[in-house]
Amino acid sequence: MTAPLLDVTDLKTWFATSRGELKAVDGVSFSLAQGEVLGLVGESGSGKSITGFSIIGLIDEPGRIVSGSVQLEGRELVGLPAHELRAIRGKTISMVFQDPMMTLNPVLTIGTQIRLALEAHEKVSVEEARKRAIDALAQVRITEPDKKVDYYPHQFSGGMRQRVAIAIALLHRPKLIICDEPTTALDVSVQAEILAEMKELVARLGTALIWISHDLATVASLADRVAVMRRGEIVEMGSALDVLTRPQHEYTKALLDALPSRAKPGQLLLRGSGVTDASPPGRRQSTASLPPLGAPYLVIEGVSKHYQKSHGLIESLAIKAGWAEQEPVVRAVDGISLTLRRGEVLGVVGESGSGKSTLGRMAAGIFPPTSGTVRLNGKPVMSEGPRPSKITTSVQTIFQDPFASLNGRMRIGDIIAEGPIAHGLVSRAEAGDYVAQWLSAVGLDPGFARRFPHQFSGGQRQRIAIARALAMQPDVVVCDEPVASLDVSIQAQIINLLIRLRRELDLSLLFISHDLSVVRHLCDRVVIMYRGKIVEEGEAAEIYANPQHDYTKRLLAAVPVLPQAAE
Amino acid sequence: MREDNLFGEFLREFSRNRVAAFAAVVVGLIVLLAILAPLVAPQDPYDIANLVLRDARRAPGYVGTGGYVHWLGTDSQGRDLLSAILYGLRISLQMGVIAGGVAFVIGAVVGCAAAYIGGRFESIVMRIVDLQLSFPAILLAFVIAALLGQGRYQLIMALIFAQYAYFARTAHGAASAERQKDYVEAALSIPLSHWRVVLRHILPNALPPLIVVGTVQVASAIALEATLSFLGVGLPPTEPSLGMLIANGFQYLLSGRYWISIYPGVALILFIVSLNLVGDQIRDQLNPRLRR
Repeated sequence: MTAPLLDVTDLKTWFATSRGELKAVDGVSFSLAQGEVLGLVGESGSGKSITGFSIIGLIDEPGRIVSGSVQLEGRELVGLPAHELRAIRGKTISMVFQDPMMTLNPVLTIGTQIRLALEAHEKVSVEEARKRAIDALAQVRITEPDKKVDYYPHQFSGGMRQRVAIAIALLHRPKLIICDEPTTALDVSVQAEILAEMKELVARLGTALIWISHDLATVASLADRVAVMRRGEIVEMGSALDVLTRPQHEYTKALLDALPSRAKPGQLLLRGSGVTDASPPGRRQSTASLPPLGAPYLVIEGVSKHYQKSHGLIESLAIKAGWAEQEPVVRAVDGISLTLRRGEVLGVVGESGSGKSTLGRMAAGIFPPTSGTVRLNGKPVMSEGPRPSKITTSVQTIFQDPFASLNGRMRIGDIIAEGPIAHGLVSRAEAGDYVAQWLSAVGLDPGFARRFPHQFSGGQRQRIAIARALAMQPDVVVCDEPVASLDVSIQAQIINLLIRLRRELDLSLLFISHDLSVVRHLCDRVVIMYRGKIVEEGEAAEIYANPQHDYTKRLLAAVPVLPQAAE
Repeated sequence: MREDNLFGEFLREFSRNRVAAFAAVVVGLIVLLAILAPLVAPQDPYDIANLVLRDARRAPGYVGTGGYVHWLGTDSQGRDLLSAILYGLRISLQMGVIAGGVAFVIGAVVGCAAAYIGGRFESIVMRIVDLQLSFPAILLAFVIAALLGQGRYQLIMALIFAQYAYFARTAHGAASAERQKDYVEAALSIPLSHWRVVLRHILPNALPPLIVVGTVQVASAIALEATLSFLGVGLPPTEPSLGMLIANGFQYLLSGRYWISIYPGVALILFIVSLNLVGDQIRDQLNPRLRR
């Protein structure tokens, strides 16, 4: 047996904080053979990224490698002087980061950046560098590489930028590439392409790969071996198939159970399903006047949202005189009609730029459509006139990013109580009790009301955001990617919370998501959006089993799937 | 972490910059002296009964008819300069804080409203602000002060008019950025009234840059007031601010009686520079981009 390419033994990377040492990586050991692909999986804060950074020697103060060794082909990397590490970094080991917009320099062309990367480790002439840059781009399947080499990063899409980052990582034929969540920021279809290409490249070039991800399914499609990390330690490691089909450790089992793709649609997910939360407070208004369950409720008719850059006086004159061209109209949402029945969950699926969030905001009355109507139970959601404003409280919204959707300068209690007090649902005196009831209904300590949002984790913040929306006692909730920025286990808890509260409150949900497995799990019916239009609509089970439109088929095929245990 | 802890952290970081900490102490001291002027000043410079012509234009250290030392000398009417400076600071500070404060409120409301309402209202209001900012503040203030005539309220009006535009532009920039954020959409989705969205959600989050502009603008209002008073379009001679004191001593500068002009000037510079240093440090601390 040959010596391993990389040998990590008992690696400990700690961070000095004001509250003592934070043991980000705490005794990690693994080895990697030439050409092997290792998937490093864990939730946020598990230390998986720090493990990657430690190997390549990119740990900044206040972090430091406390003990352990990282040996690359028998050579110790821990404690190596900075200039020697620099000679290895990018040449023998290279790295691909999550956000290619952050790692590419916006003011240099792709060609120049590739030349700089080449010059870091060898002497090349400008012409030769250009030629090699074109070859490198061709290798990651960028079309017309001889033209694209002169583009700037902003002229590329997210997927193309990530391809460029991979091309740069491959320049010096490294023996090891560390990829830190390289497809997390990308759409499923782009992710699928990159995964396939990466797999092929690694096999062809014989490069070893450490693929760091929170997503078990993407890792499963790529890795030979999988290591599951939690709290700075590897809790389970083995062949990908073994770990994902016959998990030994409780944590791995819990992670897998939290995935909606492994549960029956509509059921509570296993992780956290045992947690019982208090019931939400009763409704203040009777629901007798509402239509029966199943009747059309939120009706969206011929809705469009067009954006056009507004012109100043001089610009408008120039356009009239023919000296300047009218900016093209962006049709974010283009003539959509759909009906949400009372009590159902309607999924709106699409990739970024499909207009699904814009549709959701119009449905929620946050801004008016350019044309078309949104009516709830026959009444318009927004007022008429030149400056429409929302006139119903029956539609509420839950946003994607719980860090952005809560006002950081207000206390939790005020955030939840503000709307109900303003609309007379509760009096100022009752507000404290009302908030406490809602906090316990979403599984939080009622004592949290006095705190500020920055004191909470993402999952807790999303619970607060749900409490804020539901405290308005809506009939319809527009959920805009409510679990997209959360870890799987937290995601499972939030999904369970939504399922439970929907049942107890007879809510109708418009559930917007890019994640097909979450939509499959939660939704009764699904519409698929592509470039501002609906391309397919139907019962969820029907669409997933038998997609009609090409785009739907491509989308479903792109979803990475977990290997199923042979039973 | 609680709110007061954050404030404590702010103070700790502030005091790490020694220059700024020193400047803050100077500002605090000057403000205290100005407020307590009637108690600490050796003389009431407004009381004509106190003024003795024999004591006029005496050099620092002269012991006057009143029996006490004139540490900074006396002016052309026999006023004790130290007292005059303390009383002058009081007036200057009042003008600066009132004008700066009102300009802050007007500018914040105009800027936030423009950012929130958008459309034609925004373009018209912000173009007016831009137009105003393209003139030097001193010129605008001078014209308004000359038009309105001498007097405390006239001068405050002139200062507000010259300064609100800075606040409006800053507030507009900050509020436009906040306007786009999810929490504002969340507030609109409830829906909360427009007033509430602006006052409870957008304004508090747009406040930090305004506070920075505020400290700098108070300093600049004081300087403006001194300049206008020096030029004779500011406060009437019955309310001698620092600018007036400097102007009064100007004619004696070449005859060697430097103190009548120089000491009020030094007081003015000390105060304005300190206030600016404090403002700079607050800006550095509130700007996450400059954080190390």
